[in-house]
Amino acid sequence: MPPLELLLQQAFNGLMLGVMYALIAVGFTLFFGVLDVIHFSHGDIFMLGAFAGLSVLAGLHAAGIGGGAVALALAFLASILITGLVGVAAERVCVKPLARSSPLMTLLATLSLGLVIRESVLIFYPRGADPKRFPQLLPQGGFELGGVAVRYENLAILAIGFCAMVAVDLIINRTRMGAAIRAVAQDPEAAQMMGVNLDRTVDATFFIGSGLAAVAGLLSGLYYGEVHFIMGITGGVIGFSAAAIGGLGNVYGAIVGGLLFGMLQTTSAALIPRGSEFRDVVAFAVVMLFLIFRPSGILGEKSVERV
Amino acid sequence: MLLVLLTESALFVLIAAAVLAERPVALAATGAAILAGLAATRFVTPLRTALGRAFERHHATALVGGAAGALALPLALSASPYWTFVATLALLYVTIGQGLNFQIGTAGVLNLAGAAFAGLGGYTVGLLTVSAGWPSWLAVLVGPLVAVTVGAVLFVPILKTRGHYLALVTIAFVFIFNILMNNLEFTGGPQGIKNIPTLQLAGYPFTTKPTVFGIGLPAHANFYYAALLMAALTTWIIRRLYDSWLGLALNTLRDDEIAAKCCGISITRGKLVAFSIGNFFIGLGGAFYAVMVGFVSPPDFDFGYSLVMLSVIIIGGVDSIPGVILGACLLVPLPERFRFLHEYRLLLYGVVIVVMLLYRPQGLWPAKVRRYR
Amino acid sequence: MSALLETRGLTVRFGGLVALDAVDVAVDGGETLGVIGPNGSGKTTFFNALTGLYAAAAGDIRFEGRNLVGLDAHVISRLGMARTFQASRLCLGLSVFDNVLIGMHARRRSGLADLVVRRARFLAEIRDAIERAAHLLALFNRELPARGFEPVGQLPQIDRRRVEICRALASEPRLLLLDEPSAGMSPEETAELMKDLQIVREEMPGLSVIIIEHDMFVIEGVSQRVVAFNYGRKIAEGSFAAVAANAEVREAYLGRETARA
Repeated sequence: MPPLELLLQQAFNGLMLGVMYALIAVGFTLFFGVLDVIHFSHGDIFMLGAFAGLSVLAGLHAAGIGGGAVALALAFLASILITGLVGVAAERVCVKPLARSSPLMTLLATLSLGLVIRESVLIFYPRGADPKRFPQLLPQGGFELGGVAVRYENLAILAIGFCAMVAVDLIINRTRMGAAIRAVAQDPEAAQMMGVNLDRTVDATFFIGSGLAAVAGLLSGLYYGEVHFIMGITGGVIGFSAAAIGGLGNVYGAIVGGLLFGMLQTTSAALIPRGSEFRDVVAFAVVMLFLIFRPSGILGEKSVERV
Repeated sequence: MLLVLLTESALFVLIAAAVLAERPVALAATGAAILAGLAATRFVTPLRTALGRAFERHHATALVGGAAGALALPLALSASPYWTFVATLALLYVTIGQGLNFQIGTAGVLNLAGAAFAGLGGYTVGLLTVSAGWPSWLAVLVGPLVAVTVGAVLFVPILKTRGHYLALVTIAFVFIFNILMNNLEFTGGPQGIKNIPTLQLAGYPFTTKPTVFGIGLPAHANFYYAALLMAALTTWIIRRLYDSWLGLALNTLRDDEIAAKCCGISITRGKLVAFSIGNFFIGLGGAFYAVMVGFVSPPDFDFGYSLVMLSVIIIGGVDSIPGVILGACLLVPLPERFRFLHEYRLLLYGVVIVVMLLYRPQGLWPAKVRRYR
Repeated sequence: MSALLETRGLTVRFGGLVALDAVDVAVDGGETLGVIGPNGSGKTTFFNALTGLYAAAAGDIRFEGRNLVGLDAHVISRLGMARTFQASRLCLGLSVFDNVLIGMHARRRSGLADLVVRRARFLAEIRDAIERAAHLLALFNRELPARGFEPVGQLPQIDRRRVEICRALASEPRLLLLDEPSAGMSPEETAELMKDLQIVREEMPGLSVIIIEHDMFVIEGVSQRVVAFNYGRKIAEGSFAAVAANAEVREAYLGRETARA
């Protein structure tokens, strides 16, 4: 049994992973809430966000605006904007038109769209098949707290992630658009009768969800120091699982689910022999088990069917 | 009847030419002929109706003609072992596709782990033959059974839940399978299992080069004919299952679970039956692949292949048995033919699927009404 | 004589909401029972509880002496109860015959082997089934069997209702549950529907029917007895005239009369 410090360390690392997963999961849950669809290409949007950020940073570096906070802030903003727009485009082209036909169609379409995004990055990004180094832009160094190494990097990641979540919470609960989103999630027809513009609301939802994924992508790049064109697959599966565990349609559930997932991954990696290789297996196995026994999630999925 | 035979002969010649033409003149001529043919059948209405009626009335002749063409194909491809291999691969995807289509199209069971179930078939063959010394033909029959068993054991609880959860769990499963195959000792790790012995039936090893009608064929033609038989049997079985109480029940279950329940259909049992039958044929394809190629490794059965299998089904038409055949015959050889597109292969698959789903969701060869023949 | 169907204290809850509150209803063999009540009064919930789609929180459901509480929906449907739905649940892409044949699913005798190998046996069975389906369809509209292999989505609304009724009848039930069959119909179509229900009564005299309806004309025309629901409770029972005159029923539909000026 590994020492307490190790477990605490892993829990802390797990918190950071969890923040990233939570940001992706919120997107999944928002899309399900608003359109009743599982947007299977959302994971690849997450990857796109990371690559968009990387490209912006490379561009800024070439233009001489190399360092620190300014470049990072610009990268975040640009990536959120770009990825948000791509998310809306994806929704307009391929999610909304099929939202009314069988869920099978939406599943296949979004799955294929994800494939298109993934392959596009592979083919069109220079040497896309290789993992790409992500610049270290967060403050280095750290301190020790009760045997756990706390690095400034990690605190920054937690802070950024936390801010993103607070921002989403504010948007959803304190703005008119947020109210519109909540209304559409509950009852699209009633919402429209109240004057809510369905198309704009759906667009906004996809922009927000994709923007969050972009933040997650950049955080992932900062945390691991690299991005890879296939990172969207695992990110997507875990993000969806986290959203499912928290109860699809429930934003707080998605956040809780994401955090739980992150901590699960890191603690299992510590506890199981050869844990780091099988880390993903454990995660996926837990997903499978969870969905077997409690498919409506921890905090409950919004269910629809009237007989 | 003559019209049917003429059309099929013309198709055969066009296909052979499309595959084999090398010189620019021949390529151009073939391309032009194909385009002309497509345009004529699409836009010249009297021709279209005449063909439609001819094929409807002379159903049996059409089938016999098609069979003759399929049997004769290796003769046309005798100079190219590579293309014989590609043709065999297409037949494998027909087998796998019928299985997957039965799950996704007929029953609405969203199985995205096709690659893993094929892998279960393939790896079982590898392990039984190389580690346990079993004869290949026996291993090929056992492989699918392993796929079915694993599917049943792991997925019964999930089949009760909603469709998108099953999709998610099957995606998770493909990844688990891949990681396990890559990291476990007895499955050979990243190298996989090599030197799987080739098929041997009644003392005839499949590595011998057969001679048919005096024409020497590449050794691979043995696998072609075996795969043709397998694909034909699979299609026949699936067709009969589809055109029956079972197919009807599964369609109803897919379209409206509540109505199905009120007609006495057990949702769990129905989904399990469809899932298992489909996994049998998917596993069979994977098992056959193992003996055909002689080795299995983790990248052969990753998530990308699940998506390729999906594209085969979608292009032809979900829940369409002839659609699967068309999908496999288009999707497998085309990227091989247009080598310069090879890098863009998956990208094109993705785009084609999205476009098809938006504009022609019923596929290129949609299923027709059930007639119970 | 014990009733064909009897519920005692049947209660259905959704979380805190009591959708059905200790409902006692009985139906005899050969009887047609009408069920009325304002929207949300629990009529469809009642059907869903009977057919096993909703779990009963308390109470008893006895059908031909058998307790149905706790049984799965597909098990119950094989016991001789069939239903139609308020929003018609047909498989629009499947043919008309297919939609009726599925009603005979529980009575099929061919096994998996017959489907593949001993096909002749299965084909004979399915041919009989299609003939039965055609016969049922023809009862209501003699032109329907000719369209038997068309997708059912192409039929007009009234014929689709008929197909759904045929699907229910195809299972040879002893109790037929009809959920607002005249919903969305014009007066002419409703008159056709009444004739259809009359045909059902004539073809299958032993069949018991429970019919939920908003159209009082239909209820009066086909039911021998009527039950009224409100807020999940049964508030009146008796002949149509008696129930229609019942003060609580009138209040449920029309509201209480306030003091005149």
